[in-house]
Amino acid sequence: MTLATTVPTQPATPTGATPVLSVRDLRISFPSEAGPVQAVRGVSFDLLPGRTLGIVGESGSGKSATAMGIMGLLPPTADLRGQVLLGGRDLVGLGDKALSEVRGNAIGMVFQDPLSALTPIFSVGRLLSDALRVHQDLSKRAAWEQAVELLGLVGIPDPRERAKSFPHEFSGGMRQRVVIAMAIANKPSVLVADEPTTALDVTVQAQILDVLRLAQRETGAGLVLITHDLGVVAGHADDIAVMYAGRFVEQAGVRELFRRPTMPYTARLLAAVPTVDSGVHRPLVPIGGEPPRLVDLPPGCPFASRCAVALDACRTDEPELREVTGHGHVACVRADEIADGSLDPAGGVAPVHRAAERSGTGEVVLRVEDLVKTFPITKGALLKRRVGTLRAVNGVGFELRAGETLGLVGESGSGKTTTLLEVLRLRKPEGGRIEIAGTDVSTVETTARKRELRRDVQIVMQDPLGALDPRLPVFDLLAEPLQAIGRDRESIRSRIAELLALVGLDPSVGDRFPAALSGGQRQRVGIARALATEPKLLALDEPLSALDVSVQAGVINLLARLQRELGLAYLVVAHDLAVVRYVSDRIAVMYLGHIVETGDTETIFADPKHPYTRALLSAIPVPDPERERTRERVVLQGEQPSAARLPAGCAFVDRCPLYRLAADDVRERCRTERPAPAEVAGQPGHQYACHAV
Amino acid sequence: MVRYVTRKALGWLLMIVVATNATYFLASWFLDPRSNFKELRPVRSEEQIDRALAPYNLDPSVPLVHRWWDWFTGVFLRFDWGKSPTGVSVNGEIGYRSLISAELVVIATVLSVVIGVALGVYTASRQYGWADRVTQAVSIAVFNIPTSVAALAVVFVAIWLNQHAGLHFLYVAGENSPNVEGLLPTVGDRLLHLILPTLTLTLMGYVGYHLTQRALLLDTINAEFVRTAQATGLTRTQAIRRHALRAALIPTAASVAFSIPSIFTGAIITETIFGWNGMGRYFIQTISKNDVHGTVATAAFAAALTAIGAILADIATVFLDPRVRVS
Repeated sequence: MTLATTVPTQPATPTGATPVLSVRDLRISFPSEAGPVQAVRGVSFDLLPGRTLGIVGESGSGKSATAMGIMGLLPPTADLRGQVLLGGRDLVGLGDKALSEVRGNAIGMVFQDPLSALTPIFSVGRLLSDALRVHQDLSKRAAWEQAVELLGLVGIPDPRERAKSFPHEFSGGMRQRVVIAMAIANKPSVLVADEPTTALDVTVQAQILDVLRLAQRETGAGLVLITHDLGVVAGHADDIAVMYAGRFVEQAGVRELFRRPTMPYTARLLAAVPTVDSGVHRPLVPIGGEPPRLVDLPPGCPFASRCAVALDACRTDEPELREVTGHGHVACVRADEIADGSLDPAGGVAPVHRAAERSGTGEVVLRVEDLVKTFPITKGALLKRRVGTLRAVNGVGFELRAGETLGLVGESGSGKTTTLLEVLRLRKPEGGRIEIAGTDVSTVETTARKRELRRDVQIVMQDPLGALDPRLPVFDLLAEPLQAIGRDRESIRSRIAELLALVGLDPSVGDRFPAALSGGQRQRVGIARALATEPKLLALDEPLSALDVSVQAGVINLLARLQRELGLAYLVVAHDLAVVRYVSDRIAVMYLGHIVETGDTETIFADPKHPYTRALLSAIPVPDPERERTRERVVLQGEQPSAARLPAGCAFVDRCPLYRLAADDVRERCRTERPAPAEVAGQPGHQYACHAV
Repeated sequence: MVRYVTRKALGWLLMIVVATNATYFLASWFLDPRSNFKELRPVRSEEQIDRALAPYNLDPSVPLVHRWWDWFTGVFLRFDWGKSPTGVSVNGEIGYRSLISAELVVIATVLSVVIGVALGVYTASRQYGWADRVTQAVSIAVFNIPTSVAALAVVFVAIWLNQHAGLHFLYVAGENSPNVEGLLPTVGDRLLHLILPTLTLTLMGYVGYHLTQRALLLDTINAEFVRTAQATGLTRTQAIRRHALRAALIPTAASVAFSIPSIFTGAIITETIFGWNGMGRYFIQTISKNDVHGTVATAAFAAALTAIGAILADIATVFLDPRVRVS
């Protein structure tokens, strides 16, 4: 590619320091059957020592490809052009041998999924000392000593002992600490973190971000923080680049960007993110359409087709990134108008309001009382001995009415999915009672009756690609549940047309296979499939976590509309509290198999009582740099203990910040007596289980 | 580790004893040495046949339990595995033939594993490259050639080479030449005889390792941890060798260990074509000649090899994957 693309001048460096990393017109393309995929189309930036550049974008925007391109870790089929200047040396075009001397030495990388990023057959001490010995001439013993020091630095308790452990003996958060330790082992001048906290729980995410900040301070490295989470960059980045369709579309300081997002895409992205800010419940504005495919991009701005304020000029020429006074660099022809406030980038699109009046008075669709589920822990290869009991769900109870949504929230391992699956199992639970539409499931004996009950309860899965059979076209996928209940051909055909219209899909989608659909469309198919038998209760297991922000908002609005029109009851399990806030009327916060607090969504967000709820809420990063950096946060110590060894008293006692401050008599009760749910005065339905509040 | 291996070995020993005795009873029920005499002229009477078999503890008129007890005490006390219906000592046969087989299969197995795994690693790191496509095509073709055809093809090529080169160093039959004396000439002569059968067995054996090792390595080669290893400063080749290959070798190690008995007793066709008197042919002969003691001894031999293979597989797994703590 010999096109003379002008490299935009970078903002003047405030300190005048020389950048540790300069990327100039980076272009990456991958071959595919449809033609070359232009994953990155001309990215340029400078990274100063000690500074953090946040790269934000949705999946497929090219942010991970950029990271891999900088690291020289792209697959050999990829085509990489441009310049990656590290300390003045261009890394593009270097061979694997030459690059390997740079990787891990001058650049360290933190990967997304700590569960698969560590070699399972080596101890973490071995992994770390190997990483050290690649670049430093150290004896095995000296490297091990340094490895232990590094483990201590990233906050692994008892590092000397733990260094001998294997990755599978660590939790996700602890493994990510090890990955960070490996990245900073040789004191690199640049750290690249690719979605470092996406796979982790929010409370652990807060800890890991702190470790990352510490690592950066220790090494003085410049950090490239890649994420889809605007909240994370708001709190941690100095500069932000927004990526769309393989290019930076806006690049500015964090305060400027959040104060007035100037590229319409950025503005719409911020409007589409559910937040947990205190104050008013802001309606979500979805961005219509889908991100473009990066094969044979049409001329013009790639966002034009989804943009509310696009002009004709937008569809013919792709705007370059150019400086906007007092803001940063924006790739939009109307940037000046938006920057001075004379144009609303949302184009006056009416936000979709949720139905204001909520009827919590419908018939009770689901009643769960005192539900218990345990799993045996066994040992031995041939003869399994029971050595313990994992109490996954412990005395959980709630009620759900037609037209109402209950959100179950909590960290992974809190028992929320188990609760959901117990409800869906339609069998007599191990302990307690489950009542669906007035029928106690333990009284249902015959298969025929069970089948009838099954029609009333359906599930929407987390990963729509995994949940839909890839070998069936959408029509057959939707026909399956209808055939199962014995509908005839004609009525199946008409019902499928109805269902597709209901979830906002074109009838032509019926002939396509799931692989040919976008993520949002797939999840709509998943929802349509669940709705086929006209259920009363829909169980939604992390329905949005596999979707991009801009698509998420559309599905949230769809779910709200369906509930309004069909009077469905939703039981939602999600770890993303911001999303839960948008879809739920009521929330139940779970910790180690217990519901620690329950109440109306807005009441809980405005006035959380239980210390765990407070910590959970405060751990969520807010996409607003001012508040994110000044607000007081409750960062929980440690991680959720195993449900195999429940404390005798309150399940939360080991991590509770209130327990540490409480008086001796309260502490005694916390340790020995399980707190019973108590009603908050003046807030009907708001209950929490805590001795110390 | 020593204690663990001892415990495993004892368990396997028990298994061998049970399996061997079960085989004794099965063989005695199904193999009738009397039928060997049916073809002989003049026709022998029942008494004559029984008398002829009696010295070898094969007399059908003696109750089976008595014969078993005699056989069992013989094995247990003197490690005497009995005699064939014609009076040949099983111990001698097995002792001689297992060495012949070992000579034949050990080199071939080592070569198969080394070539197969090396090719698997080489091609997996170049998936869909031309080297991968070519070797895969060759391997699949070889995979589909029956051993007899391959062996005969090797023989023909060798004869052609011998004729055209005017040499006679490629021996197509037998395990040694007669009238060779002295240590070095004997060893040299045996090695020359080994060339062609080893070539055939290697050709037949490497394919499986190539294809499975390639598939196994492809499963781990794109794993995130390989990329992490690269990110710490290893080249791609180093990262694959140190991080991906080790995990991918575990199933191969187990399959090599467990294939030991079958390659020892299963090289029948190769042995037949090249005229080697190894365990494979012995196994077939004992069954066709109603040699109860020979059959049982072969089964016991295979069982012992299985046990050795299993223990080797365990040791290899612990060595390759330190997560498997020996308890």
